[in-house]
Amino acid sequence: MKAVGFAWRSLVRQPARTTLGVLGVAAVGALLFDMLLLSHGLIVSMGDLLNRRSYDVRVTSTAALPRSGPLVRQAAATTGAIERLPEVRAALAIRFADARFDGRDNLPLAATFEGITGTAEPPWSVRRGRDPHGMDEVVVSESAAQALAVDVGSTLPLSVRCRVADEALPPLPVRVTGVADLTFELSGEITIGGPLAVLEQACGGTDQDEADMILVVSAGDPRRTAAAIRSARPDLQAVTNQEMLVRIQDTGFTYFRQISSVLTTVTVTFSALLITVLLTVSVNQRLGEIAALRALGFSRGRMIADVLVESSLIVGLGAVLSLPLGWALALGLDDILRRMPGLPAQLHFFVYQADALLLHLALMAATALLAALYPMRIVATLPIAATLRAEVIG
Amino acid sequence: MNPEHELRSPKRDLGTVRGDVIVDADRVSRVFQMPAGPVTAVHDVTLDIRAGDYVAVRGPSGCGKSTLLHMLGCVDAPTGGTLRFDGHDVTTLSDRARSLLRLTHLGFVFQRFFLLPMLTAWENVELPQSEAGVPKPARQQRTRELLEYVGLAARADHRPSQLSGGEMQRVAIARALANRPRLLLADEPTGELDSATGDQIAALLDRVNADGTALVIVTHDAGLAARATRILTMADGRVASEVTR
Repeated sequence: MKAVGFAWRSLVRQPARTTLGVLGVAAVGALLFDMLLLSHGLIVSMGDLLNRRSYDVRVTSTAALPRSGPLVRQAAATTGAIERLPEVRAALAIRFADARFDGRDNLPLAATFEGITGTAEPPWSVRRGRDPHGMDEVVVSESAAQALAVDVGSTLPLSVRCRVADEALPPLPVRVTGVADLTFELSGEITIGGPLAVLEQACGGTDQDEADMILVVSAGDPRRTAAAIRSARPDLQAVTNQEMLVRIQDTGFTYFRQISSVLTTVTVTFSALLITVLLTVSVNQRLGEIAALRALGFSRGRMIADVLVESSLIVGLGAVLSLPLGWALALGLDDILRRMPGLPAQLHFFVYQADALLLHLALMAATALLAALYPMRIVATLPIAATLRAEVIG
Repeated sequence: MNPEHELRSPKRDLGTVRGDVIVDADRVSRVFQMPAGPVTAVHDVTLDIRAGDYVAVRGPSGCGKSTLLHMLGCVDAPTGGTLRFDGHDVTTLSDRARSLLRLTHLGFVFQRFFLLPMLTAWENVELPQSEAGVPKPARQQRTRELLEYVGLAARADHRPSQLSGGEMQRVAIARALANRPRLLLADEPTGELDSATGDQIAALLDRVNADGTALVIVTHDAGLAARATRILTMADGRVASEVTR
């Protein structure tokens, strides 16, 4: 009987201890898996979000993140100028404006209006209906359609917050031409999209020619495109998606990585301690048997291998169980975290990554080895004669 | 001293080995370093164990019987003197080599049996052969023979918890014989058994010896010791007397 079979029989011999160990490892392994998914999940998801559409360079007036800094003035002209650069295939200015509707029971309902101008594709995908083209046409997100009880063909009274005082402005009736997935919709947000001209019209014709950001589709290398824009307009910030990702990572997501690192260390340590305790108790209960096997000629290496394999089996079984458990837990936690206001609605915290899975397996393997070190030392240094004597006396 | 992988019947060919020195202990001592000071458990013991010998070691508790047995069985090393197995100084052997020596040339029977509870009687007997690398068909044949030899063929699939004390000790003897040891060492083999069962085990050990395996038994049981051809009586770590019959 080889070490694996021997260790397996040892585990089966003590089902309660084995079950406790495997479930313990499965629980902490699930947490470990989640921490590893969380560690890079936000960045992966944000990268996916940034790259979801064809825009690969973003232009803002300052280094602040979009929707948090000053606006780009003369948006239409600036967008046109950028579009004319040879490194640019298309560009689109986007302006986020606060909007207001009367909801159920005439309670005011806050919303966001995304006004666009330019030649690049709009930042939404129409689910049903069509894109808005006219000066009084909009698309609404699914959440907006539900909250405002509208659908394709409905008319909405649009009130927006303009640069000038808006109290006296009457709502602008706009027609819903489509229900769409809006790329920049935030969690819990009600979003409406349409031409920037709609915003200007809703503001009574006052100048609304400003943009939070200009989205650019490069003609080739986005870094060259960003450099060309910076060269042509030194007053603007042009960053590629990758640079934007780094900026977001540096400013907003470091906390998650730090938390993830701390919890990863805690879970690995806890897992190792749990298995060490279980194996040490098990080995101490079997000292007589181990000494007898050594007396019968089983080598020290073989006995050490038995402990290591036993540890590996417990951790291996726990690790296998931890993956579906961790994934289910990740889905639940992701659902909770995504409800945080102010985050892109399509952003995920826990994203499957092959690297995270491999790291999880590597950490579990290291845990099995780490956990077995102390009980292996007990076996390795066990004095055969003294143990046999002690067992008889005991 | 390579593992003996070939299998023979439990009965040895006495004509070729009887009388050869298996273990030669020359003024061996064993001193334990205790917090209160060194304790000499075995002091200047000289003896040899020859093929076919049946040696009983007697004496009061703490006189060094088990320590001597452990040294003869290469699980403990003397702190003084020399101990040779088949002419090889065992104190110079590595731990691995001593393990191999025990696996292939020595058998141990313990007072508390120390059968592995998660294995059946069959698996317990098969285990040392598996460790010695005996091929499966030969292993199975040898295991079947040994369980028949100890009268437990019908209990092969039983776990130790399903066996009586006497049956467990018989399985332990079969396990000790699994790799055809030249020397079988038993430490109080009847110590946990009632007298009737102890007699059965004693009879089995007689048979093992008669079939060619040298025996060294440490025992308080006068009846068991009386079956031996050499009786060593120890006192204060020394061999106080030796009676050969």
